[in-house]
Amino acid sequence: MQGILFPRGVVEEREGLQEYRARGGYTALEKALKGLAPETVIQEITESGLQGRGGAGFPAGKKWAFTRECAEQPHYVVLNGGEDEPGSKKDRLLMENLPHLVMEGVILASYAVGASTAYLYVNSQYNKAKDSMAQALAEAQEAGLVGKKILGSDFNLDILFVAAPPNYVAGEDSAALEVIEQKQPLPRQKPPFPATAGLFGKPTAVNNVETLANVPAIIASGAKWYRSFGTPESPGTMIFSLNDEVNRPGIYELPFGSTLRFLIEERGGGVKGGKSIKAIMPGGPSSAFLPPDKIDIPLDHNSVRAAGSSIGCGVVHIVTEGSCIVEEILRIADFFAAESCGQCPACRMETNTLAVMLKKVQQGQGGQPLLEQFSKVISFNKGKGFCNLINMPGPPIESALRLFRPDFEFHLANGRCPQS
Amino acid sequence: MKRLCLVCQNVDCKSRGSEQLMKELAKLVAERALTDVEVRPYICFGACQDGPNIVLYPEKSWYAGVKTEDLKDIADRLAGGPDVKRLDKIDSSLKELIYQLLDTGVF
Repeated sequence: MQGILFPRGVVEEREGLQEYRARGGYTALEKALKGLAPETVIQEITESGLQGRGGAGFPAGKKWAFTRECAEQPHYVVLNGGEDEPGSKKDRLLMENLPHLVMEGVILASYAVGASTAYLYVNSQYNKAKDSMAQALAEAQEAGLVGKKILGSDFNLDILFVAAPPNYVAGEDSAALEVIEQKQPLPRQKPPFPATAGLFGKPTAVNNVETLANVPAIIASGAKWYRSFGTPESPGTMIFSLNDEVNRPGIYELPFGSTLRFLIEERGGGVKGGKSIKAIMPGGPSSAFLPPDKIDIPLDHNSVRAAGSSIGCGVVHIVTEGSCIVEEILRIADFFAAESCGQCPACRMETNTLAVMLKKVQQGQGGQPLLEQFSKVISFNKGKGFCNLINMPGPPIESALRLFRPDFEFHLANGRCPQS
Repeated sequence: MKRLCLVCQNVDCKSRGSEQLMKELAKLVAERALTDVEVRPYICFGACQDGPNIVLYPEKSWYAGVKTEDLKDIADRLAGGPDVKRLDKIDSSLKELIYQLLDTGVF
């Protein structure tokens, strides 16, 4: 199956400028600078239906149009390579091995929104990715692809690096802006959104690495070609991450609409040890659990939502039979309690309280009424934070309670896992 | 079970001096020989902007914006004195949520 980002399968080694150009690299940039107005580039991206790959799935063309249309100057582009989602390594791999693909996406985004400065916000623990991108930047500057009068046009672009702190909220778009402004990684209250009032208060397009990596192919081959992949509502491909629960862990680019079964069985080689599946989290720790009978759902935004979960940034976690869902959920609740930045009172209260409540369930302290309190704490706090973290523990906890209530009841009665 | 005097120790209340308040309240409770009362920290009541927050349970009295000079009245209340109504400032829906949690043993 042909991919868009990995036309010949996942790239295992770094691709340099010459190799990238040999397979058509930077022709999209040339096409744009020599013949497409920035508005036309945005229109093409809008028509392609490209959605953000950082988790929220916001239409990329719409975001760019918001920034482009702002009279306030200057405009900025930020490549969000914070990648703090547990189990996600896709952005790291793209920056390490396909740095020019990512760079071309950044340059095209900057041209489209009218930015003359772009920031590469790269996870501070990703040394290899940072080095690879730095080398790509030097090569691009040398080749006249970044800097003054790019490819003989009037378009100028400076690209700067900023290290992203390796904590969860630092990957949130407005927290990234705070870090670039040399402040603490704390999300901002929204609105205003970064697209209209972002870096230094100016219009800023903040895009995930995978999102921008899709841009060159769309500009080179057109929205219609891009839409030949995926589904009408979720066009293109997406990179999915499988971890140690399967025989072949790794990242896999699949067209939207491929089934969860195809990803797990055909690509991942099935569950390790032939164990049967108890539950699947299709979109990272903030997605709701799906029961195993949903394994044939297509992986696209609408289908996963209709099944009761979300696709997030494509980290698929499998819980096998014999695992205790209470332990799973407690780990997730502890994660969000630890990663809440603490600036919003409701988030602080919610994440800490849920973690304490789950600890009580795990240890068999409390009765049935305790289980009824989870949804009350979650709904009381819904939407009361600056960022979305406050809404993240809800789907996994509520779906676990709905699907696996006997695990919770066993813990309450016995203070241990049913399997131990 | 002992009666509880729960003093929020999350970041905001702490930054407003709740650690010291908890120590001083424990001293006042000891001075009054209230052996059935335990002064203990609480994770967060979700009313950070009104902190420091102290909740008495099972009395279900919530005192917000507590200052050192209020502690004597709170200790007297624990010893059977009148409620400290001037410190009762919290929205009823939040109170209901927290009291329900306390009723289910989350403390």
